[in-house]
Amino acid sequence: MNKLAIGLAVIALAGAAASWVLTGPNPLSLEDVAALPAGEAQQGEIVFWAAGCASCHAAPGAKGEDKLVLAGGLRLTTPFGTFVAPNVSSHGEDGIGNWSAQDFANAMLRGVSPDGGHYYPAFPYASYVRMTGQDVSDLFEFMKTLPAVAGAAPGHELAFPFSIRRGLGFWKWMNVSDDPVVSAPENAAGIDTNAWQLGRYLVEGAGHCGECHTPRDSLGGLDKSRWLAGAPAAAGDGRVPGLDPSSDLGNWSAADIAYYLESGFTPEYDSVGGEMVSVQENMARLPASYRQAIAIYLKTLPAAAAD
Amino acid sequence: MKILSVSACLLASVAYAGVVAVAHAADTPVDVRKSIMQSVGAAAGLGGGMMKGEVTYSPAAGKAAIATMNAAAHTFGAYFPEGSDQGDTTAAPAIWSDAAGFEAELIKFSSAASAAAAAAGKDGPADLDAFKASFGPVLGTCKACHEGYRVKK
Repeated sequence: MNKLAIGLAVIALAGAAASWVLTGPNPLSLEDVAALPAGEAQQGEIVFWAAGCASCHAAPGAKGEDKLVLAGGLRLTTPFGTFVAPNVSSHGEDGIGNWSAQDFANAMLRGVSPDGGHYYPAFPYASYVRMTGQDVSDLFEFMKTLPAVAGAAPGHELAFPFSIRRGLGFWKWMNVSDDPVVSAPENAAGIDTNAWQLGRYLVEGAGHCGECHTPRDSLGGLDKSRWLAGAPAAAGDGRVPGLDPSSDLGNWSAADIAYYLESGFTPEYDSVGGEMVSVQENMARLPASYRQAIAIYLKTLPAAAAD
Repeated sequence: MKILSVSACLLASVAYAGVVAVAHAADTPVDVRKSIMQSVGAAAGLGGGMMKGEVTYSPAAGKAAIATMNAAAHTFGAYFPEGSDQGDTTAAPAIWSDAAGFEAELIKFSSAASAAAAAAGKDGPADLDAFKASFGPVLGTCKACHEGYRVKK
């Protein structure tokens, strides 16, 4: 009896230890950190728009220069609770002004905060994990040049069990990988492979398009079998359209997609609306070749699995 | 000829939108505002097509596109009475909960359209550059309003 009890206790302890390890943060290794290239602010501005930072961290509806004021405060009301975008301005106390390049890279690529906790994936590190170290370093240099804004945003309002950050380690283990989602273009004949790869990088990585355009499972992980197939809006009402060839976008040409991202007009001259307005305005600030690359990637997506 | 007939259709549709409001009082506000917005879409298609170079520019067509926008901009806002948030509509609840904000967007639309109509004169903008200069700002007001006051289907 005693042996059994001890045995059970050992197993329980081992299980607890395993789950403690599994749910722990997984920051970049010393080698990864040492390998981070030096950043360059001017290049980082392109990354800033590609990654859509302003859409959540600037004031809702901000236009023009106000998009560079990253005080946070946007509320995302989701089935898991309400997430509030934090201040990521260059303010030392309330923003990220005191961060090191290592802190920033851990946030972007691992979803880990400077104090070693997990970020919630409302911050789309599950996409940013596919970004290059160079882009992350460039972005950090650019963000240091932006205005410092005092005032921390309020915390998230989440219900149990989602309020336990430690559990996110398990979520990350299930959902976060830097592998590409699409391994090769469909109907690749005649397409520019470099442009396709840039498009994939922008859509699957920095641009984090899948975070809204791909349906999620009950724990909030992206259903990659239905990649970019359209999804119920995670925040608010309505449906986010699909981008794969079997979806709403199937009749658009690559030029139509690139023009939409530049101008905000569909081929029928309807205008962009809702949250996509901010995204489109970010895309409009990228080089034209980036928008064309996104269009090439979207036009050669495999059709998503049925609903 | 094709452009002329497109312009004629657009002008006719604007005239018709005006008639609808009077003659078919049984039409709901939702129906009326949707038909007005369809004329906006058609004018944007004509004007945008010319700006992109897909449709050959003519001053008469430019004037038709601007006139359509101008008529729509000055009538559209009248078809959002309280209680018309139901049914087959993509009007966002914010139109009624933030009426002042919606009004401000409508004023941007009508101001840009009025300025374009004034600049168009009797014969329409003389060339494509003149047309772009006045029609571009009108198109620029679309998404600002659609960002906060239209919902996803």
